[in-house]
Amino acid sequence: MALKINDNGTDREMTADEAAEYKAWQIVAKAETQAEADAIEAKAEAKASALAKLGLTADEAAALFG
Amino acid sequence: MGANAQTSVPTFTAGEVLTAANMNISARTGIPVFADATARDAAFGGTGEKTLAEGQFAFLEDSNTTQYYDGAAWQAVASTSGLVCVKAQTAVSAAASATADSIFTSSYTNYLLLVNFTTSADQLCIRLRAGGVSTATGYNTQQLIVDDTTITGARVTSQVNIRIQQSVGAESSSVIHIFNPQLAIPTRLTMHTSLNNSNYTTGLNLNMRASNQSASTAFDGIELLALTGTWTGNYAIYGYSKTV
Repeated sequence: MALKINDNGTDREMTADEAAEYKAWQIVAKAETQAEADAIEAKAEAKASALAKLGLTADEAAALFG
Repeated sequence: MGANAQTSVPTFTAGEVLTAANMNISARTGIPVFADATARDAAFGGTGEKTLAEGQFAFLEDSNTTQYYDGAAWQAVASTSGLVCVKAQTAVSAAASATADSIFTSSYTNYLLLVNFTTSADQLCIRLRAGGVSTATGYNTQQLIVDDTTITGARVTSQVNIRIQQSVGAESSSVIHIFNPQLAIPTRLTMHTSLNNSNYTTGLNLNMRASNQSASTAFDGIELLALTGTWTGNYAIYGYSKTV
């Protein structure tokens, strides 16, 4: 299906060059987005693991450490 | 009270004999029109002329300006708007991308971009443009996300875009300030997003981002594009006035 672009207020289909650039951007952008999500998840897991070792809930840790 | 201050706005009745004072009320009200400032100044204070005093208005033909007298000098009535719309609100419907070119000029230093959006599947992103071409390198972002009582921070560097947010199933809104995009120096952006992901209650998040495009590039436009699928909504861009 053709990709649609609003070009300065006008709707049209992307040209072949525009579509190729958009698709190439998508590949890298999705990888970057996934890497960021993974990093955030890893930090959350590390925090949860640390809290478990201390025997604290997240609310209790927040009350203690802000 | 000034010499021209009124204490009433009279209404004359049919058959009433009008005095000179009555007629002067009419003659001295309204905004007189003069060819220029010289003609204006010559029209007050002389024999048979109105006394120039605070509150007097005048229109000058040579400059097409309306002025008022503040008791000491003539002042312009019109003031410079603090925000000037440089890209009228533009509706976007189920498009993968939306571009706005030739927006950033030397007329303004800083800009405000307001975006209302839903996405079909994924993130809405932004890239800066120069000469109709989007730049896909050098974006750096520090973000702060507040989701109920959970606060998350993260920083990403050397990205191909700045991510705004994903807003599937409910509309979100972003306030994006863009600083010095038209200069060949790194462009900075600050972004606040009221995010409603899936719904307007438990999907409500606050998302704040400090971003930049670190190259010394002069940009003149933006691209708002969906990471996957399409986005729908509208956007408008304003320039912040540099003068009072």
